[in-house]
Amino acid sequence: MIDTSLMLSGLVVGIIFGFVLQRGRFCMNSAFRDIILMKEYTLLKAVALAIVVQMIGFHLMATMGYIQLNPKPFYWGAMIFGGLIFGIGMVLAAGCASGTTYRVGEGMMGSFVALIGLMVGGVITSGGALKWLDSDLKSGTFNVITTGDLGVNPGSLIREGNTSLTLANVLGLDPWILVAIIAIIILAVLIWKRGGEETKMEGTMYEKVFKIGWNWWVTGIAVGVVGMIAFLAFKTYALGISGGWFGFLNALITGDPDKLNWFTFLVIGVVMGAATSAVIAGEFKLRAPDARTLLKQFIGGLIMGIGAVIGTACNIGHILSGIPQLALSSILGGIFIVLGCWITAYIMFMRG
Amino acid sequence: MNSDVKATEVLDVRGEVCPYPDVKTQKKVKNMKSGEILEVLVDYPLSAERIPRSMEKAGHEILKVEKTGTSEWRMLIKIK
Repeated sequence: MIDTSLMLSGLVVGIIFGFVLQRGRFCMNSAFRDIILMKEYTLLKAVALAIVVQMIGFHLMATMGYIQLNPKPFYWGAMIFGGLIFGIGMVLAAGCASGTTYRVGEGMMGSFVALIGLMVGGVITSGGALKWLDSDLKSGTFNVITTGDLGVNPGSLIREGNTSLTLANVLGLDPWILVAIIAIIILAVLIWKRGGEETKMEGTMYEKVFKIGWNWWVTGIAVGVVGMIAFLAFKTYALGISGGWFGFLNALITGDPDKLNWFTFLVIGVVMGAATSAVIAGEFKLRAPDARTLLKQFIGGLIMGIGAVIGTACNIGHILSGIPQLALSSILGGIFIVLGCWITAYIMFMRG
Repeated sequence: MNSDVKATEVLDVRGEVCPYPDVKTQKKVKNMKSGEILEVLVDYPLSAERIPRSMEKAGHEILKVEKTGTSEWRMLIKIK
């Protein structure tokens, strides 16, 4: 069993994260899908800003010695395959791992069904009938490529013993140079394209925080700050969603409380925080779509779970937490999550 | 703005999951004539904010967005 202080910190960070997700409607499935589906960039801007805040924040905290960066290993074949099917799954499920989790807190039963699919998909892939697929995609031709293989130095900000590739160590650059370049480019684009998409905010401060959906830049900064708090609290990694749910189902199946991890308490907190936020805003309602959509959402969740285990992380673990660490695994995984999302969105909504 | 504007057509997308409320509204709007008014009933928070945004960007006029109940919104869109 993880110790009580970690349990509590996971729960508290989760509640804050859930509140922020619900207020900001922060869902990466929407963020990426809406680019091609409706030329809507509002949520994408929030995602981009959250990445910049964390990229600067993580490197600052690592440089000051509060944390050590812990990028995920570069299993390139698994990142491509896992990312792609995760992206496909999230469109079918009508929400990414974080989007699905916060919508459970809003009372959406379709997302609840997707979440069960996600847990089942993850558990059968990490230790069940599909374990072979995961193993095959992480060995032989698809084996991990490490800093040792390339003969490069992991870098001073990286956790000891971690030989994962990052943009910085592969290019042999000081990570701060890359952080500065990427941050300047993204911030310049965000400032240039800032207008026209804000939620119309009228009302008192209380209403702006608790009643009306947040502006993208408020959401982006808030998600980024929560990610930094998560890394400080957990030390080993920042935010993640899917691994927490897999641990939850594994603990239920085996009866072994050791299967519960920090992320399990985080995701339970997310549901609690999102539910609280939804109730305050008058947006909590138990509702369900038709049977066909429910089935689609379950299958989508299942595919997401399989993809998250093979790809070693979901959209949050990769795009929100991994890319800010400049992890090559997360950059590749993230690209294929987006591709899977676009291909599926095109087939489902845009043909004909 | 008159709150008793008569809607030409009503689209009820309550219970629909992301992004169907938006997709169905877009489809409906395409098949309506200029000056007609579409009333949309939605219970999905993200769409309640995103539909007015995308409709305005497409040049249509949002006459009204009102919260009518717990996680329920009603909006009136005047077709361009």
